[in-house]
Amino acid sequence: MTMVHDHNRKDCLAMFAKLSDYIDNELDDLTCKDIENHARACIPCKACMETFRQTICFCRSLTPNEIPVPTAFSNHLKSLIQKLSGQKRDL
Amino acid sequence: MPIFPSPKTKTDDDFELIQAINAGQTDLFPELVFRYERKLYNFGMRMCRNVQDTEDMVQDTFINVFKYLKDFRYETKFRNWLYRVATSTCLKKKRKSKYAPERELSLDEFIPDENAELPVQVPGWATLPLDQLLNEELLSIIREGIAALPEKYRLVLVLRDMEGFSTAETAQVMGLTTENIKVRLHRARLFLREKLKTYYDHGA
Ligand SMILES: [Zn+2]
Repeated sequence: MTMVHDHNRKDCLAMFAKLSDYIDNELDDLTCKDIENHARACIPCKACMETFRQTICFCRSLTPNEIPVPTAFSNHLKSLIQKLSGQKRDL
Repeated sequence: MPIFPSPKTKTDDDFELIQAINAGQTDLFPELVFRYERKLYNFGMRMCRNVQDTEDMVQDTFINVFKYLKDFRYETKFRNWLYRVATSTCLKKKRKSKYAPERELSLDEFIPDENAELPVQVPGWATLPLDQLLNEELLSIIREGIAALPEKYRLVLVLRDMEGFSTAETAQVMGLTTENIKVRLHRARLFLREKLKTYYDHGA
């Protein structure tokens, strides 16, 4: 079953363009209200907004520092830095 | 508008350490490396997507930081400055390699097709709590989606939605306007949404 999409497509497109600003709280109250009203009345846009919001939640849920630094590389960095610090002191 | 908002600088956790290093205690530099090596390494793996380039990037970044730290004027958080150095190291590296010019993403390509069947309800995956959805398969879909983004979009998405930089900070890090950051971020997120939609539409 397909719902008849009888809303003004221009409003849908305007909302689509502003989704990030809306979610990031970068819009004025009036524009936010417009978007919320539109999403209440337009299920395709509501679906779009919620899948968009969830996409961002997924990104934010990824632990940014999950990979440990390989020990060999960490040791290499340490000795490189020690060398640099030593040179600087000798200047 | 000031390019670098100053009030935040006062809460910079690295302030004292950097002051000490710049006052001559260069033996404290390893402490700075220790604080950031894991963060930079993971950032590098998201940006360069392979171990060798990541290690080169992290090493070059710390060498540059060591060289130029004395010029750091606390106009921004140290972390923002560090990521700016890391980002430009990353981009320079990319320019040297012989990749095809990167694809631009346009808003139009993500606009839902007017003639396609419209959803009659919000899909389940958008309404369930994260802990009911996140599993290894989904995580790899998200990671692959991010990796598939053209670099300039990936960089903005990683900084904003994963590293937690604000729009203004991301603009500082990348040397772009906030407007530019917003445009890229929106397209990057739409790109990723398409990937997830495809995954769920084809029976996850
Ligand atoms: Zn609509």
